[in-house]
Amino acid sequence: MEKAEESIKNTPLVSVDHFEMSFGKTNVIKDLSFTVSKGETFGFLGSNGSGKTTTIRALLGIYQPTGGTLHIDGKPYTVDGTVRLGYLPEERGLYKKEQVIDIMTYFGQLKGMSKDDAKTWSLDYLKRVDLVDKAATRLDKLSGGQQQKIQLGITIMNDPSLLILDEPTKGFDPVNRRLLMDIIEEHQQKGATVIFVTHQMEEVERLCDRILLLKDGEASLYGTIDQVKEQFGNQIIEVVSEKTIPEHPTLYTVSRREGSVTTLEPKSELHAIQKAIINAGITFTRFELKRPSLDDIFVEVYGAKAGKEL
Amino acid sequence: MHNLSTVVRFEITRTLKKKTFWIAALAVPTIAGLVGIIIFFSNKATHDQTESLAKEQYAFGVTDDSHVLSPLLLKAVKAEPVASQAVGEADVKSGKLEAYFYYPKDISKQSVYVYGKEVGLFQDSRYQSLANQLLIQSAQASTSPSIRAILKGDVSYNASTFDSDGTVDKGFLKVIAPGLFLVLFYFMIAMFGNQILTSVTEEKENRVIEMILATIKPTTLLVGKLLSLITLALIQMIVILIPIIIGYLLLHDQLTLPNFDLSQIPIDPMRITLGAVVFFVSFLMYTGLLMTLGAAMPTAKEAGSLFGAAMALLFGPLYAASLFVTSPDATIVKVLSYFPLTAPIPLLLRNAVGNLTVQEASIAILVLLATTIFILSIGVRIFKFGALEYSRKLSLKEILRRKA
Repeated sequence: MEKAEESIKNTPLVSVDHFEMSFGKTNVIKDLSFTVSKGETFGFLGSNGSGKTTTIRALLGIYQPTGGTLHIDGKPYTVDGTVRLGYLPEERGLYKKEQVIDIMTYFGQLKGMSKDDAKTWSLDYLKRVDLVDKAATRLDKLSGGQQQKIQLGITIMNDPSLLILDEPTKGFDPVNRRLLMDIIEEHQQKGATVIFVTHQMEEVERLCDRILLLKDGEASLYGTIDQVKEQFGNQIIEVVSEKTIPEHPTLYTVSRREGSVTTLEPKSELHAIQKAIINAGITFTRFELKRPSLDDIFVEVYGAKAGKEL
Repeated sequence: MHNLSTVVRFEITRTLKKKTFWIAALAVPTIAGLVGIIIFFSNKATHDQTESLAKEQYAFGVTDDSHVLSPLLLKAVKAEPVASQAVGEADVKSGKLEAYFYYPKDISKQSVYVYGKEVGLFQDSRYQSLANQLLIQSAQASTSPSIRAILKGDVSYNASTFDSDGTVDKGFLKVIAPGLFLVLFYFMIAMFGNQILTSVTEEKENRVIEMILATIKPTTLLVGKLLSLITLALIQMIVILIPIIIGYLLLHDQLTLPNFDLSQIPIDPMRITLGAVVFFVSFLMYTGLLMTLGAAMPTAKEAGSLFGAAMALLFGPLYAASLFVTSPDATIVKVLSYFPLTAPIPLLLRNAVGNLTVQEASIAILVLLATTIFILSIGVRIFKFGALEYSRKLSLKEILRRKA
């Protein structure tokens, strides 16, 4: 039984093979390959403009790839295919002048539900998010947070087997962020496949089975979180000191400074580094060897550019 | 087409729920009704006033040096003979008479003098009116019935012209049936043109397009919008026409509206077929063109700036309407009839007046059809590639170069 479940989980639902995408002379994706297995939660990471959204749009057939193949369930995605898709795009909005219930029912029908089922489901969802009294209200009369709840509801209509969430927490208030996380967890438990496009590392570490870091149109790091940390290789040293720790090109490099905490990438033995810092007249209250967090890896991979964008 | 009926239903239902749709639809019959009511009450008031004036008796005197007036008539209307103009004027001033008319010897050269008691700005003219009526009726009484009819403009004519096959030509009536397509085309573009143009920018402006494109094909959305717009145009036309027809039937006599004998309108199957085909293809082409322009623009406001240019091309030929009727062989008429973006009005107008040959119409329809297919295919590409361009206009070169 466990083997069967494992086998289903290892069957790729999404497979991207040597995907290339150019807009005019700009080469956005050079050569990208990855798979997402059924029931997996996959983190698709990258800085702004790295090509995450382009990849998702190409996967959904909104863009035609310049090269390579992008398949969902073994074939290019079509709107009338068998996969029930829940897609929350980065650029989001709804019909502003229509009633909430009409918009939800319309999208439910487009996703294959009957009109009655779509309406019933919508009312249940609105009850869940305390908006049932707003069912007959025009969307533009709702607050921004309330509109986000409606958008989330539409994304998960008709019980999607594949959820693609592009920067899902962008612009969300803490209440809706919490709602989103609950929804993702619910769908994970139901066996849905989730592709989580983001640069919020905290959420990725909490939710994702595997991740891919996209850089310069190629996969920079790819695998489970542990594998990625391993691929990234170097452990780091966190030092807490009052004085600034100077660079030392032969023993270590300073990768980050945050207040009194300095992150070093060791190039030599720990005791040699400790000695060099003490010899520089610096006293420290902590000197700890750590595995890098995803946040550290992200900053390291994207460097100053990502730092600015974040 | 997957989900087409859902799109059409949604687009129609949400438009029918909008107050602006019904305001626009009902404004025409409401305004027509209000104008009718104003005309009705105005006519009634004039009629009532005329009747009351006719019934009103007042003492008046006449001095007839022209000898044109009929003594019998003067006696019948109880006109008091007065010896001279000076006496008559004095009698009016003293209040002995309410009015006095002096007809000089030669009324073709001299003025008729009218004196009367002041009875209000709008009623003082009654004296001159009566003085004039006395002259007209006296003149009519002294002539034959035929001359009387000529003077009254009562002569009726029964004219017939014959077509080349010897049948009686129906004249202007022939224009009515095929001409309806011209009216219909003008009406539909005028009422819906702007709505067609902006219908495709809504999803882009609301940023809902990406969710839509992940659920339905762009062609489905475009065709769905096209079908819903045509349906809404028909609904709006019915909403406008029904009250007008009911109003015509109910108020026909009160408003003295002209009679329409539909049985007299000739039906020429060939011209009606050509009119219907040109109308349908032209409407499709312009709808496609407006949607394409809308798809290429990031916002409705920016798309609106192109609307004027499209309408100038379409309705510009109306300024040469008389040329289409009188000189069908003129080069400018041929050019405007074959150039697809100007062709609809010349073709429909020429078909209505009967100077469009089947051969010319067939070539023009083929040109329109080819243009429509080209525009729609470009429109789908623009919509597909431009849909996610929220702030940028796509160039035609870029659209054609992108992989479909």
